[in-house]
Amino acid sequence: MASAERPPVILRSLDLCSRAIRLARKIRSDVVSLLDSYVERQGLDKNISLDGVDSMPTAAVEHWSELTEAERLGNNLKAYRIFQTLLAEVLEDQRTHLTPTDTNFHESIQSVMLQVSALASQLEELLMLLEHSVPAREEVEGTADSTSRSMFEKKLRGLKVLQELAQWSVRSVKDLHHVTKHSHSSSTVHVSHQ
Amino acid sequence: QRHSQQDTRVQYERIGADVTMKCGAMDWDAAVTWTVNGSDIDESHLNGSYLVLRNVHLGHSGQYSCYEGSSWHLKYQTSLKVGTPPKEPVLMCRSNNYPKRFYCSWHLPSPTYIPNTFNISVIHGTREMVCEKEAVPKNRCHIRYLQLFSTVKYKVTLTVTNALGRNSTTITFDEFAIVKPDPPENVVAKPVPYSPRRLEVRWNNPSSWPDPESFPLKFFLRYRPLILDQWQHVELSDGTSHTITDAYAGKEYIIQVAAKDNDIGTWSDWSVAVHATPWTEEPKYLTTEAQAPETTTSSTSSFVPPPTTKICDQEKVVGS
Amino acid sequence: PQTLRCITHDFNIMTCSWDAFSSTNLGQSYEFCYENSGLLVCNKNKEKSADIPIVHGSTTIKITTLNASGTPLATTTFILPEKNVSFIPLTPQILSLTPDFSTEMLYLKWKDGGSAFPFDLDATWQIEVLRKETLERVAQVTYHSKLTSKDTILSWNWKSDMPLECVSHSVRIRCYINKMNYGGNKEWSEWSPIVTVPGEVPDLSFAKVFPQDRVVPVGSNMTFCCLHREDERIEHIKYGLKSYPLLHLSEWSSAIQVQNVSASESSGTNIWCSLLPYGVEGTVLFVGYPPDIPQNLTCETHTLDKIICTWNPGRPTELFASRQTNYILSERISGRNGTCRVTENTMGNVCVFTVLATQNIYNFTLQAFNPVGQTESSLSIDINQRVHPKTPSKFTVTGESPTKAHVSWYLPGNFIQIKLLCQIEISKSHSEPELDNVTVYGTVNSCYEAQLDMLHPNTAYTFRVRCSAADHFWKWSNWSEKKQWTTWEA
Repeated sequence: MASAERPPVILRSLDLCSRAIRLARKIRSDVVSLLDSYVERQGLDKNISLDGVDSMPTAAVEHWSELTEAERLGNNLKAYRIFQTLLAEVLEDQRTHLTPTDTNFHESIQSVMLQVSALASQLEELLMLLEHSVPAREEVEGTADSTSRSMFEKKLRGLKVLQELAQWSVRSVKDLHHVTKHSHSSSTVHVSHQ
Repeated sequence: QRHSQQDTRVQYERIGADVTMKCGAMDWDAAVTWTVNGSDIDESHLNGSYLVLRNVHLGHSGQYSCYEGSSWHLKYQTSLKVGTPPKEPVLMCRSNNYPKRFYCSWHLPSPTYIPNTFNISVIHGTREMVCEKEAVPKNRCHIRYLQLFSTVKYKVTLTVTNALGRNSTTITFDEFAIVKPDPPENVVAKPVPYSPRRLEVRWNNPSSWPDPESFPLKFFLRYRPLILDQWQHVELSDGTSHTITDAYAGKEYIIQVAAKDNDIGTWSDWSVAVHATPWTEEPKYLTTEAQAPETTTSSTSSFVPPPTTKICDQEKVVGS
Repeated sequence: PQTLRCITHDFNIMTCSWDAFSSTNLGQSYEFCYENSGLLVCNKNKEKSADIPIVHGSTTIKITTLNASGTPLATTTFILPEKNVSFIPLTPQILSLTPDFSTEMLYLKWKDGGSAFPFDLDATWQIEVLRKETLERVAQVTYHSKLTSKDTILSWNWKSDMPLECVSHSVRIRCYINKMNYGGNKEWSEWSPIVTVPGEVPDLSFAKVFPQDRVVPVGSNMTFCCLHREDERIEHIKYGLKSYPLLHLSEWSSAIQVQNVSASESSGTNIWCSLLPYGVEGTVLFVGYPPDIPQNLTCETHTLDKIICTWNPGRPTELFASRQTNYILSERISGRNGTCRVTENTMGNVCVFTVLATQNIYNFTLQAFNPVGQTESSLSIDINQRVHPKTPSKFTVTGESPTKAHVSWYLPGNFIQIKLLCQIEISKSHSEPELDNVTVYGTVNSCYEAQLDMLHPNTAYTFRVRCSAADHFWKWSNWSEKKQWTTWEA
């Protein structure tokens, strides 16, 4: 074979990976600027300790380099599904309690929600393309008792959601690069066998 | 004949202090002789048998001995070391091989002239991390990343202690904030035959960057003709080569490259500068050795991303 | 027996006590005798006290000390004038002390013990509010009541200047009864037993800041407290971005005081309690203004089936979402309420009231209220004098002759009770528009028509129409859309 013809699945996954990387980067830049406006509108301090705010998908991971491809993509997908629900909760808190008249601010949250939803779909498609099982949808903790939270807790929770999402978007980029790297190497092995 | 049988004691005193030494158990009015580093000390420094040193300075450091007047028995001996308590140390942490490790290094803003001991603690959330010391340089240690992509901040506290005091400094930072690659390596610039306005530049990822595929770097190239001061810049999101297409024909160029993780952290310092001159009609001996009118590796020339000017800003074109 | 002291709690029976000193106190008892309605009454008692009926004037009491075998040891006779008998009301008992944490109010209830007296009496109560374990007095209030020979439950409430969760609050009361014609000495009762409302004790899971999510008027003076676990210390408490000096309340509670708070941002002002070794807790305070009196309250009807009331809300309250100003439109004659809709930017506020078939006059009251205050505005209208028809639609023109045209238009609304004045604007190029007024009898949701004559033949005209109430003009409707029409040739 004159030039290394990669199998269509590999090509399709490489394309999907690069599109997902671009989307994750877009999410990151949007969330970073959303964080600035969020902190300002809530009168918060960016460096406030949020260690006490939990029940959300944290990007922090140990032994990252040893994750399998299925684990990598599956963890990403589960996280972004949860973030869709968490962002909807943040938007509802802002509309109903905290910044009801700030429609531009609400629209910027909504824009991030749409991108997160799109990324989740791409991850789902990638998992299926690479023949991994797609994790089942789980009930998202946290929304159940959102009404009982105080305003301060709502503010901190929203900040934590955005901080973790910003962190996840970086992790996703690196995860997807890692998947791409291995797609490259597996396609090279594939070519050399022919 | 002076008899010295005392084991030497070390005494630390601050610059500017007044120091009084007794001659061991000798009475105040006993006849004694004091020496410093073997030389007799003038009587004016004595108050009875006590040695009094006012407003000591570094020069006062030395070995002080006291001998009984008649028997010349050594009654007291000490090694006086004059210095200062440590000022707040300067501490910096950085990861140039993310995501493997980061290192912290430190120095004192001014010398203390006496031995100091450094103790560093690295806390990540509630976890204390090990900082593996290096033989050389002594003021640096390395921490292995146990967790990646964490929003929990790192808190590093360095405590410096010497005989005259203690001081400490604490810095808190996010995981991504300290990621700063080393400059790109093996930067090479070559003319492009038959293209009088082109220069081809190539470089390598810094060898210290462990996984460029998963953690791709982007690059910033700056170049200018030696005859001008104004740099031109171009940002490259991937790849390790670039062709300059708007070089002034026949003019020698100086070229440098910087690197940054595509998503996190800060720019590296500028690479070593390379020189090249675009292809011209007459063959010209090309010089590509490294000259460093602006050596980049020293931390003084750290990379600050300029406002991205248009690559071909016409008004700035001089002559040609 | 000596130093006889007698007190009474009810002006009826006095309790007397005395001292008696002897070498051996073993088995001693006391016999006391007094005259009651001419009879000598004697009783024996182990204690050195006795209950004796009060008689007007003075009472003679003979007290004999008896040894174990009953042999008299010593006798003393006391002449006790009424004025030497001190009247001390019974120690009052607090029935309940109930906190309302949301309003920082303490509700006290106690029984006045009036049944002890067969006649009315003026009573004065002293109520003390004490704070912290050290029972520091923070309030002392005097309360007057009238005892009416039966037990009455009295109640009193107190607004704390600090959230009740911050620290324990205790209350005690005592009573003074001023019976004018009683010659004896009158004293305060003993203090009642203290009743305490404990502050919140932080459970081990997390610290808390109080008050939580409060809404207060601009200018309020506020106290915020931070409750923390035992293994924590407070680094600082900030209001907004400013740190305030800490007031120690208890081993796990400190507070700050902020005077004269100013209006907060939409998302409220944060109060942070930064803890050591790490962590932060907080609350949010929403500071705003009470609603302004609704200005330019206007009520009108477009279709005589609904009345639309609008108004200018006046000064912004700086309170939003669930804290924003709400409105209630009530009508006094019918006793009914309208339905109101408020919008965040407050300029689109509107209330709608359904027109009642049998009522023309409407006395409206628009109430404005938010968490920090309320006001109202009133307006009385005759609905027939507040007709502001909708824009005429389906405006059509048809020709009748070179100099006549027929116009018709549709107007929604139930105008049976009134006549409508409609104005048709007739304009043609190079001349000023003419206005042709026509009065029509109102009907229900239907078309109206008019005839235009004395037009110029073969001339291009532009027509449009608007309407209003014929009697009691209020407002014109908007103009209908324009219609071009060229009259027939002659």
